[in-house]
Amino acid sequence: MNRFTEAAVARNPAAVQLLGLCPLLAVSNTVANALGLAVASTVVLTGSAVLVSATRKLIPEDVRLPCFVLVIATFTTLVNLAMEAYAFDLYQRIALFVQIIVTNCMILARVEQVASKEGLGRTLLDAFGTSAGFAAAILILGAAREAVTFGFPLAALPPGAFLVAGLLLAGVNVVSTRSRRRAGGSRGVQD
Amino acid sequence: MRPLLRNVAALAVLTLVAGATLAWFAELTEDEVARNRLEAETRILRELVALGTADDDRPYAMSTNGDLVLCERDLVVLQATGSGYGGGMRLAVALGLDGSVKGVRVLAHAETPGFGDILNTPSAWLDSFTTGDVHAVTGATITSQAVIAAVSRAVDRVRLEEMCPP
Repeated sequence: MNRFTEAAVARNPAAVQLLGLCPLLAVSNTVANALGLAVASTVVLTGSAVLVSATRKLIPEDVRLPCFVLVIATFTTLVNLAMEAYAFDLYQRIALFVQIIVTNCMILARVEQVASKEGLGRTLLDAFGTSAGFAAAILILGAAREAVTFGFPLAALPPGAFLVAGLLLAGVNVVSTRSRRRAGGSRGVQD
Repeated sequence: MRPLLRNVAALAVLTLVAGATLAWFAELTEDEVARNRLEAETRILRELVALGTADDDRPYAMSTNGDLVLCERDLVVLQATGSGYGGGMRLAVALGLDGSVKGVRVLAHAETPGFGDILNTPSAWLDSFTTGDVHAVTGATITSQAVIAAVSRAVDRVRLEEMCPP
């Protein structure tokens, strides 16, 4: 399995690692908002990972975490400014959740585990894979919430986010447990 | 180089680069951002001005403090400020010359998302000001009290000041 599908499916940030759940739950009330946050997260993650990977030999080991956070915060602010200037309607709806991409542990985890150790090619594949996995999770959750809102108005509200996300995660677990069992009890794609 | 110096140097250089990039990009987007904010505010003020009774299209005068006084329409639109849970908020309140509330809109606020949703139009709660029967909102006590206080100050201003001297 190549790095892209590994990052997007086997190590899906939302469904398998349960990272980045705060924006996932808060912004998945409509598909449009979900898409906006997915694009913003992709830009921040890819930009930060590429910059860190390119400068990884210059960043001292002791202060690498402050450096990573600084890089991530800079990219987040750039995306935030760009949205305020060129996508104002979307900005008014999801600005706060774009700003807190800074504290999204999914991004810091990818930068620390992959970008700070590996070359540009592998880092890019991993960043795109993680972004695609996050985008898929948030879009599926957004679509599911929007689809059932008519019969189940609670789905559009915050408690509905937890209920729908919980059901989707349960579904993912059932499927992955079955496919693992079929693979002969080994841990299958996980490692 | 000694490790301490190397750490400090790396952080300093990175901070400088980050700061310079942000300053450059903020300047690049400054005009567009200001235009977007002004457009959004203008849209809200237009909505409020449309609440006036007479439907003439005479131009209206804007006083120095940003309030709109449209005597021939029996309408004033006052800018009001309040202090909410997350900081200051700016409102535009449309009132009749007798002090009756015709419409309330929030131009800017910093309330907690979710709890602050009552401030985003369309909002049944903001519309309740036109009926005179306004209740504080559970879970957003400070937010709703800030709006109520700001609106009653606007009402007082219209009642006490001579908005349209004969």
